[in-house]
Amino acid sequence: MTAGGRRVTVYAKSTAVSGTPVRPGKTYPLSSLDHLMGRHTLHLVFYYRPGPTLDRDGLKESLSEVLSHYPAATGRLSRGEDGGWIVKCNDAGVRLLDARANVTLEEWLGSASAEEEMELAYWEPMGDDPSIWSPYYIQITEFEDKAFAIGLSCTHMHADPTCATLLVRAWADSHRRACIAYAPFLHPPAFLPRPDPRPSHPLLSLKSSSAPFASNSKMSSATFRFSDLAVKSLLADLQPDASPFSALAALFWSRIARAAGVPPGPGELTLVVDVRKRMHAPLPHGFYGNALHFSRARADLAAGVAHVVDELGRHVAGLPEDEVWAAAEWAHERRHRGEEAFQMYGPELTCFALDHLMAYGAAFEKEGEGGRPAHVSYRVGGAEGEGLVVVLPAAEEGAARTVMVTLPEEVAKTICRDDAILRYGPTVMFAGRV
Amino acid sequence: MPAAPLPEFSRSVKLKYVKLGYQYLVNNFLTFLLVPAMATVALELVRLGPDEILAKWRSLNLDLVEILASALLIVFAATVYFMSRPRPVFLVDYACFKPPCYCRVPSASFMEHIRLLNLDDPKSVQFQTRILERSGLGEETYLPPANHFIPPNPTMEASRAEAQLVIFSAIDDLIRKTGLKPKDIDILVVNCSLFSPTPSLSAMIVNKYKLRSNIRSFNLSGMGCSAGLISIDLARDLLQVHPNSNALVISTEIITPNFYPGKQRSMLLPNCLFRMGAAAILLSNRRREARRAKYRLVHVVRTHKGADDRAYLCVYEEEDPQGHSGISLSKDLMAIAGEALKSNITTIGPLVLPVSEQLLFFFTLVGRKLINPKWKPYIPDFKLAFEHFCIHAGGRAVIDELQKNLQLSPEHVEASRMTLHRFGNTSSSSLWYELNYIESKGRMRRGDRVWQIGFGSGFKCNSAVWKCNRTIKTPVDGPWADCIHRYPVDIPEVVKF
Repeated sequence: MTAGGRRVTVYAKSTAVSGTPVRPGKTYPLSSLDHLMGRHTLHLVFYYRPGPTLDRDGLKESLSEVLSHYPAATGRLSRGEDGGWIVKCNDAGVRLLDARANVTLEEWLGSASAEEEMELAYWEPMGDDPSIWSPYYIQITEFEDKAFAIGLSCTHMHADPTCATLLVRAWADSHRRACIAYAPFLHPPAFLPRPDPRPSHPLLSLKSSSAPFASNSKMSSATFRFSDLAVKSLLADLQPDASPFSALAALFWSRIARAAGVPPGPGELTLVVDVRKRMHAPLPHGFYGNALHFSRARADLAAGVAHVVDELGRHVAGLPEDEVWAAAEWAHERRHRGEEAFQMYGPELTCFALDHLMAYGAAFEKEGEGGRPAHVSYRVGGAEGEGLVVVLPAAEEGAARTVMVTLPEEVAKTICRDDAILRYGPTVMFAGRV
Repeated sequence: MPAAPLPEFSRSVKLKYVKLGYQYLVNNFLTFLLVPAMATVALELVRLGPDEILAKWRSLNLDLVEILASALLIVFAATVYFMSRPRPVFLVDYACFKPPCYCRVPSASFMEHIRLLNLDDPKSVQFQTRILERSGLGEETYLPPANHFIPPNPTMEASRAEAQLVIFSAIDDLIRKTGLKPKDIDILVVNCSLFSPTPSLSAMIVNKYKLRSNIRSFNLSGMGCSAGLISIDLARDLLQVHPNSNALVISTEIITPNFYPGKQRSMLLPNCLFRMGAAAILLSNRRREARRAKYRLVHVVRTHKGADDRAYLCVYEEEDPQGHSGISLSKDLMAIAGEALKSNITTIGPLVLPVSEQLLFFFTLVGRKLINPKWKPYIPDFKLAFEHFCIHAGGRAVIDELQKNLQLSPEHVEASRMTLHRFGNTSSSSLWYELNYIESKGRMRRGDRVWQIGFGSGFKCNSAVWKCNRTIKTPVDGPWADCIHRYPVDIPEVVKF
């Protein structure tokens, strides 16, 4: 399957099944929050340096073991009686792709473009028949120096980034013969409406009723790796006791707004946060499915970045649980009216707080630091429009962060050369058109 | 073979006791004769007293030469008798291969692959779905890694990899259980019907385990699903010729090269039923193994119906109109299997059946020939001859047919049905998985007789009769160890997907 100049070749497709059979007749209904994400897909790539126990057959074996804990992941989607999606846990397995890259890992990390990176996470959209379509695609790519990249693509209806990350982390735990740290928790009634529902979600109501985004501008992506010192110096410059997320989100928002030609003044930013641990009855980390909340933060871009940092920090910290429930109830009502999913990430500028992810703990090798991933990438499919800024953890511990941006091509070019950002010495990777 | 009509209840109870009485009388006839005779002689001797006996002895006037000559004659006769008896062949132990968990084939996954590979042919998909629904296979059967690819990837390398995985795992397991040293293996017989590389699989084993250079190795290929018992037969014959020897027999079927990618219906059945498996068996004729051996081989009976064209052609490998090679099964397979079985039990019957059954069969035969041809033929009750039955798990239809023909109860065929459910049709090694099931259930006692029946292309029907040497205690280390507590399961006629 190799075209001229392609560095990644996918040479075989198979199905990985769980080691133990699923109890027959088990089904898992997708929640209303899951249904909302129908337009989007998630693509993760975990990069690992070469190690003694890292080989294709061993990885496949541990994958089979870990899939025994994820009956929902090995099932198939089908329409339920009320027209919504349910997962029939029929034990069909997930698609597994075998691939080879003819470069070494270091060369790849230094030179690959955004488009090339997505060749490491194979994806096939749902065709006519969901009963033979796997919602998960896992690709194992071997580099020339026996380094590996594990790519996971899935429909956003099944999993949010936390859930997908913890699946790979459970796989790593299983490979190391350790016990699974964040076991999956399947709990369909998690976001059922309260006894007296008060559905309301002004942001999503607005989005769902607006016309779908139509633009002829292509999107580009870039990844900025900020070291611990860089983030600390950024915080020192702006607001020493703010969180790294607020600081980086504020910095990028103001720079993107300027690059996009938005006049300085009061502005709004859509924020996406994971609400597993923000509920009064917190959900376990391993909660399977979507637990994201979309909200609107306001700040005056003309008043300086420090002010924006403050506003964002206040907004994220003070997110009322009531709003989360209202959102879930709004989604529930909408699903029962039978309305289709709409674009959630975008078209307005959206910022995603993912720096809580335990991605770098997914170590396949036993010895200390050696097994941790060299890098982890995330991409959200279907996020066209003004763009998406995702704040992710970084390989380095402490305040280090990775920021991944997907923006209109011109804006992206400007941002990649922006002094205010480059002042902190980030490594720019995987830049280019998507 | 139609059964005799059942009489009403009260008469049948009396008939049962009459039958029991008849069996005891005829089977222990010699005992019934000898015991009174010996009692009479003993009484006579006691009555005569020692002096009288001594006087009678002296009156015979035997001199030394006559005594020596008669002693010599007795010793000579005894020697000829003992030398002409065949060497006993012991089954020391055997090991069955348990495939790794990532080779598992759930029905949903199998069906999905069939649909993805036949997007343009819904009728073929429907046909294969129907086969799978009625197959009696469970959710834990195994296929080699090459068959999990879309489309399956049957390279030579993958076939060799599968052969190495299954055979070496089984042999390692056997070595661990018996303490066998590879240098002690004198005879090696491998049977694998459809994969025959150069160098042979037996050479592959000699190479891996560094067996002796004067090993007698044999590789049987092309002989179908009954080849396991053919290998046992060959090993037994060799153990008659070579004293103090160990024979290692490997029975397997390599699935990787035999995926049929075409559309011919008669050739699709093997895809749906055949699964990965292997067995390694250690046979020996050494006296010192007699103590720890599990079984002793009593009989092997082989029947070949190949002289009949219908039987010869009923399992036939050929190319379909598109050029894909596959094994075509004819529609009268079951009928031919029934005939082959009849032929086999006609030979094995006199060897194993108690005299009571043989007499009944003989008189019914004579009666049918001379008195009235309309008498129903008597079907001997093989449940009197054997405690356990291992019927080749070739498919649900085979087991049903044999259960009907031999009038076996569901408990007798439980081992076969459960092996088909848990492991699928593993071809020649299925008999060993079934035997392991019986042992794992704790049903194997000392003195129990086991009948292994294998069917294969040709058309062949082979039987082996084993006698259990020592009671086998549970838990048994084998492929059933982690799941025996879940069995037997109720297998529905049709499973709906």
